[in-house]
Amino acid sequence: MSVKAFELIPAVERDLLMGDKARINIECIECCGKHLYVGTNDCFIHHFLLDELTSAKGRLTYAAQKLLHKYMGLKKPVAELRAASALERLIVLCDGIVFLVDMVTLENVPSTSGGGARVRGVTTFCINENPVNGDPFCVEMGVLSLKRRTVQIYMVYEDRVQLVKEVSTPEQPCAVSLDGYFLCLALATQYMILNYNTEAAQDLFPYNSEERRPIVKRIAREEFLLAAPGGLGMFANAEGASQRAPVNWSESVIGAAVCFPYVVALDESFITIHSMLDQQLKQTLSFRDGRILQDFEGKVIVASTKAVYVMVPLPLERQIQDLLASHRVEEALVLTEGAQRSIPKEKFMVLYKRILQQAGFIQFGQLQFVEAKEHFRKGQLDVRELISLYPLLLPASSSFTRCHPPLHEFADLNHLAQGDQEKVLKCKRFLITYLTEVRSTEVVNGCREDVDTALLKLYAEQNHESLLDLLASDNACMLADCVPWLEKYQKYFALGLLYHCNGQDPAALQMWIRVADRELQDSTRPDLFEYIVDFLSSTADVDLVWKFATWALHKNPTTAVHIFTKRSVGKAQSDMNPEDVITYLERHREALLLYLEHLVHERRIQEEQFHTHLAVLYLERVFSLLSESPTNEEQLSRSREKLQGLLRESNLYRVQFLLGKMENCEQLLLERATLYGKLEDHDKALHILVHKLRDFQSAEAFCIWTSSCRDSAYKQQLFHLLLGMYLDKSATGKSQSAVCDDSGNLEMAAVDLLNRHGELFDPVRVLRTLPEGWSLQLLRPFLGRAIRASMHASRTSQIALGLAHSEHLQLLHDKLKETKKPIAVSTKKGCHLCHNTFSDPEVVCLPGGVPVHTHCAAQRMRDSPTKRQLPNSSNHT
Amino acid sequence: MPESSKMRKPDVKVVLLGDTNVGKTSLLHRYTERKFKDTISTVGGAFFLKQWGPYNVSIWDTAGREQFHGLGSMYCRGAAAVILTYDVTNWQSLAELEERFLSLTDTANHDCIYAVVGNKADLTDTKAYLSQETPDANQTESEEHRSDVLSACPTPPASPVSISGVTFPKQVTREDALAFYGRILRYKGSDERTSLPAEKMCFETSAKTGYNVDALFEALFDLVLPSMLRKRNENQQSATVDLEVCRKGGGKRGRSTCC
Repeated sequence: MSVKAFELIPAVERDLLMGDKARINIECIECCGKHLYVGTNDCFIHHFLLDELTSAKGRLTYAAQKLLHKYMGLKKPVAELRAASALERLIVLCDGIVFLVDMVTLENVPSTSGGGARVRGVTTFCINENPVNGDPFCVEMGVLSLKRRTVQIYMVYEDRVQLVKEVSTPEQPCAVSLDGYFLCLALATQYMILNYNTEAAQDLFPYNSEERRPIVKRIAREEFLLAAPGGLGMFANAEGASQRAPVNWSESVIGAAVCFPYVVALDESFITIHSMLDQQLKQTLSFRDGRILQDFEGKVIVASTKAVYVMVPLPLERQIQDLLASHRVEEALVLTEGAQRSIPKEKFMVLYKRILQQAGFIQFGQLQFVEAKEHFRKGQLDVRELISLYPLLLPASSSFTRCHPPLHEFADLNHLAQGDQEKVLKCKRFLITYLTEVRSTEVVNGCREDVDTALLKLYAEQNHESLLDLLASDNACMLADCVPWLEKYQKYFALGLLYHCNGQDPAALQMWIRVADRELQDSTRPDLFEYIVDFLSSTADVDLVWKFATWALHKNPTTAVHIFTKRSVGKAQSDMNPEDVITYLERHREALLLYLEHLVHERRIQEEQFHTHLAVLYLERVFSLLSESPTNEEQLSRSREKLQGLLRESNLYRVQFLLGKMENCEQLLLERATLYGKLEDHDKALHILVHKLRDFQSAEAFCIWTSSCRDSAYKQQLFHLLLGMYLDKSATGKSQSAVCDDSGNLEMAAVDLLNRHGELFDPVRVLRTLPEGWSLQLLRPFLGRAIRASMHASRTSQIALGLAHSEHLQLLHDKLKETKKPIAVSTKKGCHLCHNTFSDPEVVCLPGGVPVHTHCAAQRMRDSPTKRQLPNSSNHT
Repeated sequence: MPESSKMRKPDVKVVLLGDTNVGKTSLLHRYTERKFKDTISTVGGAFFLKQWGPYNVSIWDTAGREQFHGLGSMYCRGAAAVILTYDVTNWQSLAELEERFLSLTDTANHDCIYAVVGNKADLTDTKAYLSQETPDANQTESEEHRSDVLSACPTPPASPVSISGVTFPKQVTREDALAFYGRILRYKGSDERTSLPAEKMCFETSAKTGYNVDALFEALFDLVLPSMLRKRNENQQSATVDLEVCRKGGGKRGRSTCC
């Protein structure tokens, strides 16, 4: 509970007031600047000068100097005292009489002729600290009378007191406070607000003033503090509403005052101090025989029956630090925020930030990370303050030093955790999340290196998955500081990345190569080799590629060739010359083959040398497979297929050169046939296919692919050639029985060819070449198709003819429409030659658009063989 | 500027009223801090500022004890919404609302809206009991006992009474609350047809489990804010000139006092 918000400092001791006179008590006090007036029960007013002294240790003391004391001459206690400093008057209530005395001399002010300077029958009075009347040389005073149920408003001048207003109240009032037009009154059974100008009344709440002494204390503009049932201090504004939650006093409060942000209350034996911000009791001071507690111009003064004390508020910062020292973070923050109004903005922000940071560290120490983070964020904490708690995280080169005075009590994390590894781990996890969040914000401006380095170290140590993300993104990790750290935690792959980030690609690659060669252990990337290859394929540094590709090619040429094949083409600088690559790959046959395949098949580079080179490589491979024994049939056929494919598809390689290479190889007849095909030497090609290989399917396929981009005549020619090859009996030079068997096969092939590709042949030519003995049945599909094709062709051409004809007519029509005016023919019009009317639409148009009967025109042609110029008459059209 | 809620002026006021020990403070606590913890009987009153969109709603938690009854009408002064809270297991708590608390609302705004809220629904209603919003850190002993019984039971029994093993008969039905709402409207002289319907304004909640608590407050804010905004706009439009005049007048006086 306890905060030290105030200190009680003696101001006027008993000796100075009444000495050892036991029955003399203090009744009332007034303080005005340095002047302290004390009214006693023996009708004296004492006047002191109060000096504030600060000792060498910074302790505040008060020295009271007695100036004067004066007997008021009424033998009754001085009940109340109020200073009107502008008038240099003290307003005194004694024996039910209000009168004025001079502030300096304490002499009674005689009444002048204008009016009395006394008011009689007064129980209590109050001064309006916020008067509506603007006259600075008079003071507004609210007065409660002894017997009447009224409140009187007086104006107090230097030498007179003038009644200006009187308002009646529903019950006898017993306490009053005044602000503007608003009277806040304690009546016998309730509190109320009364506007003396409009006389509008507003009940507040019931209160038995006879049972307990009411308190009506103006605390701010139009706001009052009232003693409420149950020992509450209630706040009420002029509208009759409560805008602050009540504070919980004891039942017997005598006096109360507000010294923001505290409500100070006095009861029989204690001074209690509550915060207005959270309504909590903050401090209790033991104080016996308490009698008066009042605030004067912000200074709270308490008096017992015998002595006067000043309640000196402790500096706000000290209070806040006290709260923080006892880990009362929330209260400290509330107090700080509450003080905002009373501190200049600049200064406040500095204070507030620091408090937030301290609060954050306290919560951090309690592992309340969510709250801590929030406070760090709001307090704009220099992240390094937090990082510096963790040993070794800040780079050695960091210029950071902790702020002084320190924001927290921890030496480092170990001190904080007291050896609890669980705690250390939690703190580290927190730092990871915190740094991850702030590293991309402006919070880390100026210390990015420190933050990123710390984060990298944490990631490495905690084996955190984001380590690689950090290095893959834009980062400011310090190389020198991180290298030993990453090595310590065997994060070699990450170390490579770090080198890469720092532009040291050779070092990065060397690091990775050592891992890939199992010289160093780091299982971060099982596919490290592929990663290296990928890295090399994407680097712009060509020298780097030449330097490290050899290693990769030795390790795995098939994958390593990706270094060259996956390079993006087009960037002039990083572009590698294919010839250079081929030269480089000369010693790595396998890779070279793959590279050439890439050039030819994927990049489709139309260069003779690449195509030839690839074909030669294929061929060599086939040769080498052929020379093996036993031959691996599967591999061989695959290799041959590749070779054949290239030979078929490409038109760029040097055919003769290849042909020469395989001239003597009887196993590669198909390839040779293909090469002959490329040379347009179809005879030779087909001869090989049909007679040597007896591979009719290939022969047919050959015809199809060779003619695939040629016109139909070429195709027909080729198929006829094949057919001829099938039917040519002379070509075989084998034994008689073989011939017989052979020719049968060839004939069957011919029949199949005809029946399959009938539409490609010229049927007439075919029928001429076919042997006589073939049955119709055998060729039925071919003939049927041939007839259908011929029919189809004929009909198609008829349609085409018809269409062309109609198109011609259409065009003619369009032309007429464009060039000639319409020629009207009707039954009502006559023929220009015979002058009879027309009976049917068939007419002949003479030049000039004159319609005449057909027969008339014929007649005329017959009659006059010589052309006669017709008169051009427009009236007949 | 610190973002403390304590520095801002409230735009609208909501007041919790009800007999002692019906759970007003717990309701507010559940809503603002998302948890249920033991509270002591409220002394005097307390209030909480809730940021709702760009507006600040002050929610006043009043003391239910008879001793502080007199303060109620001060808290209600200028209120835009009043939450009349009773305890579903205590018939008397509803009766008290009508006898003692309804008259306190005389000082509220004339267009103030009223919600009738039956708290402690977890004691009588399975749905409310099972609606564990968040795992509760500070479970009381009785609650632990209750959950033990629950886990030992293979299927949830129909009546929460048998869950708890302690008899908490529901003394106030929803119909009672609806009827009371009707009487509030009659007391206020509002037309039932134009007022907010009883079905919308009667809630059964559990501050312990969080059941319906957010729904209650959020529904109220949604109802209160539009009317408040409208009113504020109207005031601004009609009183622009007046305010200026007042301010100028005040300034002149202030200066003349100085010299």
